[in-house]
Order: sequence, then structure tokens, then C-alpha cells
Amino acid sequence: MYKYSKKDKKILKKRTSEFKYQVERRLNGDLTEDEFKPLRLMNGLYLQLHAYMLRVAIPYGELSYLQLKKLAEISKKFDRGYGHFTTRQNIQFNWPKLTDVPKILEELASVEMHAIQTSGNCIRNISCDHLAGINNEEVEDPRPWCEIIRQWSTFHPEFSFLPRKFKIAVTASKKDRAAIEVHDIGLRLVKKNSRIGFEVYVGGGQGRSPFIAKKIKDFLDKKDLLNYLEAILSVYNELGRRDNIYKARIKILVNELGEEKIRSMIEDKYKNFADKKLELSENKVKEIYNFFKLPITHAKNSIIPKVDNVEFKQWVKQNVINHKIKGYSVVMISLKPTGKPPGDMNANQMNELSQLSYDYSFGEIRVTHEQNVLLPHVENKKIYNLWLKLKKVGLSAPNIGLISDIICCPGMDYCALATARSIPISQKISQSFNNYNEQKNIGGLKIKISGCINACGHHHVGNIGILGLDKNGEESYQITLGGSATENASIGEIVGPSFPESQLMGALNTILKTYKKHRISQDEDFLKVFNRIGISEFKKDLYDNPQ
Amino acid sequence: MIILNKDKPQKNEYIFLDDLEKLTSISKKKVILTKSLWIQKGQLLKKNKIISGIQLKSDESLDEITDDILYFSLVEFNFLSFKDGRPFSIAKTLRKKLNFKNEIRASGHILPDQYIFLIRCGFNTVEIKDEDFDVWVRFFKMDEGLYYQ
Repeated sequence: MYKYSKKDKKILKKRTSEFKYQVERRLNGDLTEDEFKPLRLMNGLYLQLHAYMLRVAIPYGELSYLQLKKLAEISKKFDRGYGHFTTRQNIQFNWPKLTDVPKILEELASVEMHAIQTSGNCIRNISCDHLAGINNEEVEDPRPWCEIIRQWSTFHPEFSFLPRKFKIAVTASKKDRAAIEVHDIGLRLVKKNSRIGFEVYVGGGQGRSPFIAKKIKDFLDKKDLLNYLEAILSVYNELGRRDNIYKARIKILVNELGEEKIRSMIEDKYKNFADKKLELSENKVKEIYNFFKLPITHAKNSIIPKVDNVEFKQWVKQNVINHKIKGYSVVMISLKPTGKPPGDMNANQMNELSQLSYDYSFGEIRVTHEQNVLLPHVENKKIYNLWLKLKKVGLSAPNIGLISDIICCPGMDYCALATARSIPISQKISQSFNNYNEQKNIGGLKIKISGCINACGHHHVGNIGILGLDKNGEESYQITLGGSATENASIGEIVGPSFPESQLMGALNTILKTYKKHRISQDEDFLKVFNRIGISEFKKDLYDNPQ
Repeated sequence: MIILNKDKPQKNEYIFLDDLEKLTSISKKKVILTKSLWIQKGQLLKKNKIISGIQLKSDESLDEITDDILYFSLVEFNFLSFKDGRPFSIAKTLRKKLNFKNEIRASGHILPDQYIFLIRCGFNTVEIKDEDFDVWVRFFKMDEGLYYQ
């Protein structure tokens, strides 16, 4: 894992005192709320429906056991004893007091954490494949590149007042677990003619106008990464729309200018401004790479215990993934137990998981963009003991990748922008499909729920997407089908008129019946069936012949 | 208003012109013109060798003035809102692509919290209210020169 240098620590300390000063100026009236807002947002502090919300950065989803322990402490001391993991691999506290925030930031800084650029119109937390560095498919570990981008983008003088927020994701695999095609910039490390460089995607995003990103460069030399990112950001900063908040993301600029035009403008900027100082020397890259060496020194002949316990077997099948080193596994921990809000973890669970990561996984934890967490390096023979301990604290739901593993935004229960509740919908679905075998029978399926058109719950890219709307004061839910955030990403198609909450579960069951009726084999998952038969069969069963 | 250069006030030698009438009464003073006025009358000023700066609103680009850019003794970016970050990139274009070496000034709605960003993007001076002087200087002095970029 990356460890802060003296410089990192000093920069963070300075930022913490600067924010304290900003809060003082707000409280004594020297800053108006309009002026304070972008400053607090750039420090992760939102004003929500009921209270302030503080979003803490977890760079590319990596946490140490000490950091998780500190998060548990903060949630107890300054919040209501829990935190909420987000789709950008961050964590949110929903109830801090404004006057406590500088203290919270000091606590966070003591474990090399902060809330910098987790919000506001700037470059946000860099997200990454949660299996980075521990899977066999990638060309190299993408995390060092995330760290390089994190440093470059932190307090960037030119890009701290962009037209709108800006999100970057990095992967190094063909299989996309970081949803790079629905980011403002998506980067994929690829190997071409024995050289490794980046494929660069620009202009993806969700919200009210969803777009899949365009590939604007097939191969970018690694050393030129930061210069190329600067070129993209400069074009966006100068030309991105500022007259309409809903048209301000780079996806709109890319769409308005067209792929060819934006590519030539970026290339032009790149040629004119490429700065030697930003070129990444091999030494610099190597220095960062050294932080990300695997803590496992050698492979082992260690196997997962064969225990005659159905629950354990189901959990291993669903939640345990091969590590690239023989004898080890990646243990996925679902934060979607039956009936609970997706992504939430209480202080007790955080403390316990912190200890378990220390005992079983070299003190490392990762957060996934699907609002789960994982222990990256668990020796196989210890997996049964680990499971028993996870089970004790309610962290053993065997549903990774299944229908109840739902991405869900906070919705109207917390958010000031929401038009409908989303958490109760996900709770209903997880209660209705709490039987493992039934979920397994349905197969791999991603349901994603947003409580408004801003799409924080990623409904556009759910195999089944659910969008909460307000129809004349009543909550109503629009369903989209066929979305995907993986490689070959796609935006879901609206199936038809929305459903009131009372009819939503019925509609979902009808969709599943249609899928099962048409699937050729058990291996053909929902998305494959949808891509083969199209939306019309689903429409017909939902609206023409409702049962 | 104060023109602040680093942590020291600087004498404002310029007269701001937004009106064609006033132009005739100016002789050897230094002037700052709006972009539209420069487009209309700039050649006249050049001919008379009047030392000129130009004021660009934060939503105005360098289009139509790039050929004259090296004539200006000053480019002032007038921020319509501190949230409008365009001048941060345009200043970079001035410095790096157009090789502009003279003063770049920020005015309008800007915050002391942005001071170091402005300086780092190539700005030399800021125009601020007299009563804000201390806060701006405090932000300047808080800077330890530790950056990632």
C-alpha cells in the first residue's frame, strides 16, 4: 500500500488548517454560503436533507486496518455509529456537525486520510479495479498509476474550478471491473508490440444524459500520461459549458463537438503544452511501484478446508475468488445482507473487519465500486475460520454478483436531490430474494437503483435499472433493461411507463419470468438473454399481457 | 481597491476604459481596455504607442486578440464568478503558448482561497478590496511551496 511521504503529510496538515480557517470565516460571516459551498464541497462536505454529510476519500479503494479502525472510531464519536461505502470506493458519514468537521479531518489526517476533492467541480477520487494487482489477467498493476494521478490531481491549480465534477477510472484488464467507459476519463493499460501504455477513453458518464465514452487514443506512452490528461482537462476547462449545470460535464462537450473534433483539439493542446517536467521518468514510476509490492512472498500449497456446511460452501462458491498467488484467495465481503441498506457498515463491523484484515490479510482491505469490500490476500487454509468470524458480525452474505447484490444511492432517505426513496426498494428486493438457491437459479444479475435522474445508483448501467421519480407527488419507478458497466458497456433501454411502488416487485418478477422463459441454458445470464432477444418480449409481458 | 503583488500593494498605473469618448482625452497614460473596445480601437492606440492592457471577462476567450497579445503590457481577467475557472487555463495559454511575459492580473469575484492557484497559473497581481488585504496576505503566507505538480 502507498505510504505518505513527509511532503504528503505536510500538504495534508496545511489543508486541514486551511479548512479550519474557512469554517471560521463562514461562521463569522466573512464567507457567504454561496462562497463557502464550493470550498466545503472541495473538502467533501455536503449539506443534505437533514444534516451535513462528509465524504471521506479512499484512494482507489485501498484501506489499511488502522484506517478502517479510525473510521469506526469517527463514526462512533462524531456520527451515528455507521458509515456508507459509495460507488467511488469512498465512505460517507451522514450526520456530522459542521463545527466537528475540522476535528474529524484532524483525526483522519492522523491515519493519512482526508476528504479532499471527494466533491465539488474538480478531479475526484481516482477509482480502480478492485482486483488490481491480485488477478492474473492484467498487463500490470494499475494502482501505482492511480497514485500518480492522485498526486497530480490534488490541488491542481488549473483544474480546481472546472465546469463540473470530473471522474477518472483506471484498469489494466480486458474485463472491466472499474466501469471505465462511464467515466469522464477511462484509462486501460494495454500491451502493444511488447510495450505497455494506455488506451484513453473520454466523455462517458451517467446522470440525466448518459453516454458511453469514446476511445480517443489507442495507445499512449506511459511517460506521457500526465501531459495527456492535462491536455484533456485544459480543453474541457476552457470549453465545457458553464451556462447549464446539466450540460456541463465533458460528455456533453464530446457529444456536441464530435469524436474527431475533440480528439484533434486534445492532440493540439498536447503538442503545444506537453511539459518535460510532467514526463514520468522510469525512476519516478518505479518509486511509486515499490509501494504496491504484494505482501505475499511465496506461493503455498494451501487449500480451502472442506467443511460439511452448506452455508460455508455457498459462501465460498459465491464470494471467494482465486488470488494470482497459489494458495491464497480474495475474499469478497458483501455489504448487502438481507434487508439492510446497501453499502452500510456499522462501527462494530468496521472494528471487527479491521482486526480480521490484520489477522488474515496483511492488514489490507479494499472497497469495490459495487459498494462491497474485500480482503485481498487470505491464505486458503484459514478461510473457514475467517468465515466463522465474519458470520458472527453479519458480514457473510453469500450474494456477490447475484440479484440481491444491488448498487443503490441513498435516495430520499438522505439526499436533498432525490425524487424518490431507493433504499427501501433494494431492501424489498433483497428480502424477496433471500434464498441462495433461488438467486443462483436466476444467475449473475446486476440491479442498480437511483433515487433521481442524477443516477448516483448507476441505474443506466444496471442489467435491470430502477429510477425513482416523483409523479404528481407519488413515488414512481422507471425500469431500464440491458445496461452494463463492464467491457462493452451499454446504457439500458427504458422498458415503458413507470410503476408505482406497489407494482414494482410484480414488474420485476414478470421481467425475471420473461428472462427464464427465453434462456437457452442455465449459463445464459440475464444480459446475454436480453442482448439476444431484445426489449420487445419484456415489454409484451409487462404491458400487453400482464399476469 | 488595492492591487496586490505577492504580499505587497502595488501602485495601479492604469486607467480603465470602457467608453470610446474617454479614449480621446488619454495621451501618455497607461490604459486598460475592454476586449470589445480594443477590437474597435486597438489599432489607434498601437499607432499612438499608448501603453495598453486588456481586460477579458472570465467568459471571454483570446480569439481575435492573439495577434496583438505581445503588444499588451497587461492582461486582466475579470472573474464574473470565482467558480468560473476558465482564466486559469487561458493564463497558461498566454504564458506557455503565446509567450506572454507581462503582467497578468485577476479582478472581479475572486477569493483569497484561490490566491496561490492564481499565482501558480501565471498571474502576477490581484485587484482586491482594501478591507480584504489581511486575509489575502494570510493566504499568501500560508503557502509553503509544497505542490504535487
